Amino acid sequence: MSVFYKRFERHSHGEGLKGQSTHYCAGCGHGLAHRDLAEVIESLGIQDRTILVSPVGCSVFAYYYFDVGNTQAAHGRAPAVAIGHKLANPDSIVISYQGDGDLASIGLAETISTAQMGLPLTVIFINNAIYGMTGGQLAPTSLMGQKTSTSPDGRSTFMGQPLRVAELIAQLDGPIYVERVALYDAKQRIKAKKAIEKAVRLQKEGRGYTFIEVLAECPTHLKMSPDQAEKWVKEHMEPIYPLGVKKDLTVEPWWDRKAPSFEADKLLAIMGAANGAPKRYSTGFPTHLGGTDISFKFAGSGGDGAQTAALLLARAAISEGFDATHIPSYGPESRGGTSYADVHIAETEVLNPSAAHPDVLIAFNAPSLAKFAATVKEGGTIIYDSTVITEVKNMPPNRRLVAVPLTGLAMALERPMVKNVVALGALQGSTGVLPVERFLDTLRTVLKDKPQLLPLNETAFAEGVRHATPVPA
Amino acid sequence: MAISASTRPKPYLEAEYCKGCLRCIDACPKDCIAQGTEINPATGVVPVVLDLATCNGCGLCIQACPEPYGLRPENERTVDAAGFELEDPAALFGPRDTTAPVPVDIPDRHLPLPASEPLVLKGTYASALGALLAGCRHVFGYPITPSTEGAELMAKVLPKLDGAFVQAVSEVAAVNMMYGCGGAGLPCMTFTSSPGFSLMLEGVSYMIGAELPGVFVNIMRGGPGLGNIGPEQADIKLACRGLGHGNTQAITFAPSTPQEMLDLTRLSFELSFKYRNPVVLLGDGYLGQMTGVVRLPSTFTKPGLPAWAVWGDRDHRRNLVSSIHLSEPDLEQHNLHLLGKYGAMIRDEQRSDLYRCDDAEILLVACNTPARMAKGAVEDLRRKGIKAGLFRPITLWPFPIDALKAVLPGVSRIVVVEASPGQLEDELRLALDRADVARPPIDHVQRYGGILPQQFEIVDKVLSLCPVQSGEVMA
Repeated sequence: MSVFYKRFERHSHGEGLKGQSTHYCAGCGHGLAHRDLAEVIESLGIQDRTILVSPVGCSVFAYYYFDVGNTQAAHGRAPAVAIGHKLANPDSIVISYQGDGDLASIGLAETISTAQMGLPLTVIFINNAIYGMTGGQLAPTSLMGQKTSTSPDGRSTFMGQPLRVAELIAQLDGPIYVERVALYDAKQRIKAKKAIEKAVRLQKEGRGYTFIEVLAECPTHLKMSPDQAEKWVKEHMEPIYPLGVKKDLTVEPWWDRKAPSFEADKLLAIMGAANGAPKRYSTGFPTHLGGTDISFKFAGSGGDGAQTAALLLARAAISEGFDATHIPSYGPESRGGTSYADVHIAETEVLNPSAAHPDVLIAFNAPSLAKFAATVKEGGTIIYDSTVITEVKNMPPNRRLVAVPLTGLAMALERPMVKNVVALGALQGSTGVLPVERFLDTLRTVLKDKPQLLPLNETAFAEGVRHATPVPA
Repeated sequence: MAISASTRPKPYLEAEYCKGCLRCIDACPKDCIAQGTEINPATGVVPVVLDLATCNGCGLCIQACPEPYGLRPENERTVDAAGFELEDPAALFGPRDTTAPVPVDIPDRHLPLPASEPLVLKGTYASALGALLAGCRHVFGYPITPSTEGAELMAKVLPKLDGAFVQAVSEVAAVNMMYGCGGAGLPCMTFTSSPGFSLMLEGVSYMIGAELPGVFVNIMRGGPGLGNIGPEQADIKLACRGLGHGNTQAITFAPSTPQEMLDLTRLSFELSFKYRNPVVLLGDGYLGQMTGVVRLPSTFTKPGLPAWAVWGDRDHRRNLVSSIHLSEPDLEQHNLHLLGKYGAMIRDEQRSDLYRCDDAEILLVACNTPARMAKGAVEDLRRKGIKAGLFRPITLWPFPIDALKAVLPGVSRIVVVEASPGQLEDELRLALDRADVARPPIDHVQRYGGILPQQFEIVDKVLSLCPVQSGEVMA
């Protein structure tokens, strides 16, 4: 039995008898399941590859005994921990060894979702119908009428009925092999070991997720002798938890994950990083709009394309060698609702990226215009969609008002969606923030994977420029 | 070769390892085993007694024995009939209880990354790219606004790099997947936001206890409870003072630009492995969504494998990931060890950014996006003749008290600017108190509920504290 440590150094530092005896009570089913699992690991020749995950419960100390890679997990989380291990090293054989409180109560979400995910993992579920480590409380698998320290008058329907986990797992699509076994006599123990062997072997062969429920004895908390406990499992548990194979699919080996890639070129391509310096079109920073840090607010409803326009402006400025930021702000709706964007362009560094008092406002609808017009700095510019905003009133003094029929121009191109690019054109035409060529270059860059859309966008931009009132000389 | 009845080993028992459960008695078809009558003086229990005259070596009793060193086949005997050990005692009591080798570190490799033009990225994306550059190929998460874009980007790109993104059943599961993957010695991370981070904290405590690496990017949103999805900074308390139960600390970064989101995420991975401890990166909802210029570094990392990893091969077989230390002296030692690590972090990992602090009389203290509003306010105030400066902690824990101490002598007032009810200020006050330095009066500008303090509010506050001669007031 080389899979058990020669000496249990982790069990009270292996002192005295603890060096070779377990922490389990006399007659505990865990010891039998441990023995089966140890023999299976040995016979399959997977000792080096095995990682045993032992979460909270009596078996949390399984790492005292098994000479394999060991991970102790939080209560109920062993399947999640197992997923982490299996994905980190796909060649590892990961076994999650859990009790009934752990697997069927606190960890039920992880239990079900991991089973359904179906990665080649093996779960050994020790069902002894009671909480052992905390001292004999009601388990999700306790039987009706069973007296425990938290069901002193016996389990009633008020506490819910016993959970048949193997059946629950078997009806999921993820698992390939589910069996319930018992340990109460020699015949059952032979079957149990066979089932555990098959479950781990199927994982080793990369076929899928396997689950073995083991009906086990907890003589201490059942307050019985071990032979009475064996009898109790046979006579009382087995009728509620019938033994046998619950699911057994023939699945070809499929688990074959490649090692992750660490190639520079691939990484750069994924990041969208391009080689070569972009062309510069500006002769200097557009200080005529308000110093060395200019702010813009794009305001509309979801679907107006305010965010895209704002982002294009920020990209264009960054390509020109300036610093720029873009902050979106949405209403809670996935579609529709408000959509505002703050953009800053600075010659060297954007200090404050928020545009509480923008130099330029681009308003796509009347509420946006009403909301933000007064926040625009004195001497600033307000561009608005004159197709949808027909009545302009209460505008603050000393702001330049630029009316451009953004929607109308986009409709004329039979693509209402491009009104944000029309707006960018209008921004360029009315402020000269960056050269026309700069914007067109940025449009070509962002549309490099959809070149068929480029002519439409170029036209939309040109229409915006054409209809804008240029900056007064 | 088939094993015949005559060659099958019979059982033998070392009485000390029999707990007297008697499960073997029923298992034996030949009635070779009986309940004993004498109490074993070493254990205080009555072991079974064997009479193997009719034993055919069927082994059923061995399979019925719950103790690994209880009933065993005769051929595994380590003690002779007189009770003398047959093996070399050194083999039994030596330091090694396993035949597995002692693992060694496989170091990270830092590979060159060809130069490229600056990227234009939002904060969450920048953080994701920082993780990729740090060698992270495993991301576990649960969707939550406003952090989800980071996870979405990872879900898109990781399959192309033969990595894995797993959308967990919950944040609780996500952090435990990190526990497994980090326990296997690989860099892994999650993107989350405040309520999700709350759910992860038990797992964070386990990771700290088990000394596992892992990076948590928490894009803070408005709270408490469900709150809203606006930007807030009210998880500073959680990250600095409340990482789950027990004696827990983790380096906590507060980036303020997309560039820092990338750079500090990379650094988070490095420090997470250096200290074998989780690292928290706190962004605010604005920063997560904010797009800005991001320059890529000249190298990227191909991770090695630390010696302590539970990897699942022969070299790492002896390893254990666990936060259990059952004996009190052991757990105290473990806590002392953790405190030693925290001390090293406090000593070596303080980071801050000082903006116009050299001659500052009014010192603004702010982090994340509010630090940018504060930076704008510094310029405004300087134009009005007020010597303002900004002290920006980049690490919130450890608080960069050493750098702060250096600028304090000329400072007449500190104004803490934050989107929380004083959680940054608490860190500042605690750090000042522990450093035992004289401090000027502390005021603050605070907003809550998903609203960030604005530049003009900061300027107004400072002006109210020290009105300028000209009386100029911001509109």
